[in-house]
Amino acid sequence: MVPLAGRLLILLGLLAASAGSIVGFATGRRPSAAGWAWTRRFAYAFAAFMVLATLVMEYALLTHDFSVSYVAHVGSRSVPTWVTVVSLWSSLEGSILFWGLVMGIYVAVATYRNREAHPEYMPYAVGVWLACGAFFSFLLAGPAQPFATIPNPPVDGPGPNALLQNHYLMVMHPPFLYSGYVGMTIPFGLACAALLVGRLGHDFIRPLRNFLLLPWIFLTIAIVLGGWWAYEVLGWGGYWAWDPVENASFLPWLTATAALHSAILVERKGVLKAWTVTLVIASYLLTILGTFMTRSGVFNSVHSFTQSAIGPTILAFLGVALLFSVAALALRVDTLAPEGRLETGASRDAAFLVQNLLFVLFTFTVLLGTVFPLVVEAVRGAQMSVGRPYFDRLSVPIGVALLFVMGVGPALPWGRATGAQVRKALLPPLIGGAALLILGFLLGARNPWTLLALFFGGFTAQVTLAEIALPVRQRMRSRGEGLLEAIAQSQSRGRRRLGAYIVHAGALLAIVAIAVSSTTGTSKEIQLRRGESTTLGAYALTFVDADRFTEPHRESLVARLDVSKNGSRLGSLYPRMNQYESQREPIGTPAVRSSLTEDLYLSIHNIDVDSGSVGLLVLVNPMVSWIWIATAVMALGGLFALVPAFRAETALVRETGPTSMPAPEPQ
Amino acid sequence: MMPTPASSASPTRAPRVNRKVLVAGLVVVVPLIAILLLNLGRDPHSIRSPLIGRPAPPFSLAPVGGGSPISLESLRGRPVVVNFWATWCVPCFEEHAALVAAARTFKEAQFLGIVYEDDEARTKAFLAERGGAYPSLMDAEGKTAIAYGVFGVPETFFIDGQGRIVDKFVGPLSRGAIAELLGKAKGGAR
Repeated sequence: MVPLAGRLLILLGLLAASAGSIVGFATGRRPSAAGWAWTRRFAYAFAAFMVLATLVMEYALLTHDFSVSYVAHVGSRSVPTWVTVVSLWSSLEGSILFWGLVMGIYVAVATYRNREAHPEYMPYAVGVWLACGAFFSFLLAGPAQPFATIPNPPVDGPGPNALLQNHYLMVMHPPFLYSGYVGMTIPFGLACAALLVGRLGHDFIRPLRNFLLLPWIFLTIAIVLGGWWAYEVLGWGGYWAWDPVENASFLPWLTATAALHSAILVERKGVLKAWTVTLVIASYLLTILGTFMTRSGVFNSVHSFTQSAIGPTILAFLGVALLFSVAALALRVDTLAPEGRLETGASRDAAFLVQNLLFVLFTFTVLLGTVFPLVVEAVRGAQMSVGRPYFDRLSVPIGVALLFVMGVGPALPWGRATGAQVRKALLPPLIGGAALLILGFLLGARNPWTLLALFFGGFTAQVTLAEIALPVRQRMRSRGEGLLEAIAQSQSRGRRRLGAYIVHAGALLAIVAIAVSSTTGTSKEIQLRRGESTTLGAYALTFVDADRFTEPHRESLVARLDVSKNGSRLGSLYPRMNQYESQREPIGTPAVRSSLTEDLYLSIHNIDVDSGSVGLLVLVNPMVSWIWIATAVMALGGLFALVPAFRAETALVRETGPTSMPAPEPQ
Repeated sequence: MMPTPASSASPTRAPRVNRKVLVAGLVVVVPLIAILLLNLGRDPHSIRSPLIGRPAPPFSLAPVGGGSPISLESLRGRPVVVNFWATWCVPCFEEHAALVAAARTFKEAQFLGIVYEDDEARTKAFLAERGGAYPSLMDAEGKTAIAYGVFGVPETFFIDGQGRIVDKFVGPLSRGAIAELLGKAKGGAR
């Protein structure tokens, strides 16, 4: 009964999406009010069916209905209820259903928001969204089949992948990742609509930018949550390994970031329209490439080696989407002619251009490194992997260059700048650069790239802070407002600009923190017997005892270490090893003592409770906390820019009341 | 009928193709699709076993439900099918019926199950419910699974009469696959 309902809902979703896509394209070609109304109805219906299908799956999971194959694969009576709920995205088939859910919600919201706006573009956009939706419903109806029935249902299932159960970050990571990935469908549809209509006007670049910013925020959080999880769980002490799965999430982020910037030039100068559309389309295609590369599940269940038809189906979709995009661009790109001229001398315009080129270079670098093992496998039949050295060697210079452009760009004026203007803009921030460089040197940084990153970091920090303060200073000077009033007034006016600079502040903080943490830490590996001590830097560690805990679904071996720094006791740390019933390799949970300056990181290599010995990896990682803080700053900056932008857009569309109403003053 | 060049030209406005964009797009996209297509059959988890063609690691393990241990050594001269499985693995019970049927058909070969990361009581209950035609052995500390480099279950090794591993199969077996791989193991015995 339950599997039947699920399958029926998915088929209805497929039907609604296919019909809506056809009606949408037809309405785009021959606009009509009725056609647009039906396109919207199909979009809402698709969303409703996806939501209902997900609810049916959650019901099956919670009632342990093992006749549903997905439940038989990931369900278990012995895991806590919250694990059962999140099992929805713990394995391949369920994660595609979850994908459908997120997509349905996005499509419904984006359709509803623009129901009365952009009549020439929207039918095409919804048509493209629903074409993508039709593909994913097809995947669910055919190759993925989360609702397939098992003739002899087992009494109990294995439970979801142990990695999911091991840490809360792994529970939060997939929803953010999917919200980022799936959300790229919306700007993709809007960009395709611009191509099909043959126009990308001022009115339309705004929704495009805003609907790109939203998934960008999710993707930013998701990437860092993944890194944070790796840091807190995997126990090798790092947060990024250039693993294909990580790269898969990073690639669309790079092109989306580039597109967010080039969109500003479209808006201000009417240039780079085709380029921006290309970047937006590339961002979506890279999410599908990532989905294919990871076989759509971030979790490849270790138990299941069943060769599924999901991979080939996603590849077929990717191929069609790639060729469609190339054809659409080749045929229509000339219709998006620039309205203005791009300044190429020393100017903010040129900095935007350099920034864009650097991001695209970065994208190709990572893409090449990720795909290269596949090339070797295909050509020579040898299995190989592109290691970190390749990525590190190429990404460090690009990252530092981006940091530099992030400082120089906002400092320079728009349009052509005179030599005097350039000097006036670029000389003062050298103070900030020198200050951070000297500080880093005094604190022990010696790596030349790190020192360069610190110098540009200081430079960019001064520019960014000056830009944040600029409107406040202007208001205080020209209107005689007090400091607080000026802050309140300026933040309610130029929120998009301010949000962007907050993102910049976060980004530069992240780059500096990454540069410092990856080059200045110390570490050691040591074997300790009960009662023995070791030191690393200012820290002293004493291995007090080891213990064994048994829970229904796992057994944990825990070491207790007393920690002191410079002679004063800091408390105890408990790194552990968890052995899950369904997994042979134990999963460690390192113990991390975080502070704003540095983390003390303990990870167990081996532990013997009976004889009382433990093998430990001990690391001191400076500034790692700042990466997480910086990400929060970036996400908040993005939201700060996005929320009023969405509101203003709505107000503009409804034409109700003035759009520039000053916000009430905070008390 | 002779088509004239004039009549084959479309009367509608032909869209102007931006050749540069087309070529640049195809240069990036076509190799990418080609590479992905070529790698399609590849399972990122399938790490080629270096054991193929080598002597199978020896073992001597007690069967589920008690009894004297069965060693690989004692089966020399007959092809052996060693299937690593567990009751918590769904593909394992998908292939269970095929294995039982094959064990009944190919009486010249010895089929063995090795229980991977599971407890004896549950395995016993599973076999009582689903039926078994060959012994399943308990691999208490997982030493045999480690020796065979088992990555996940089910994995099945086909061993010839001289105790050499002829092939390895990852994932649930069908009757056809068993017959084919067993044929290779029998060929090696001659």
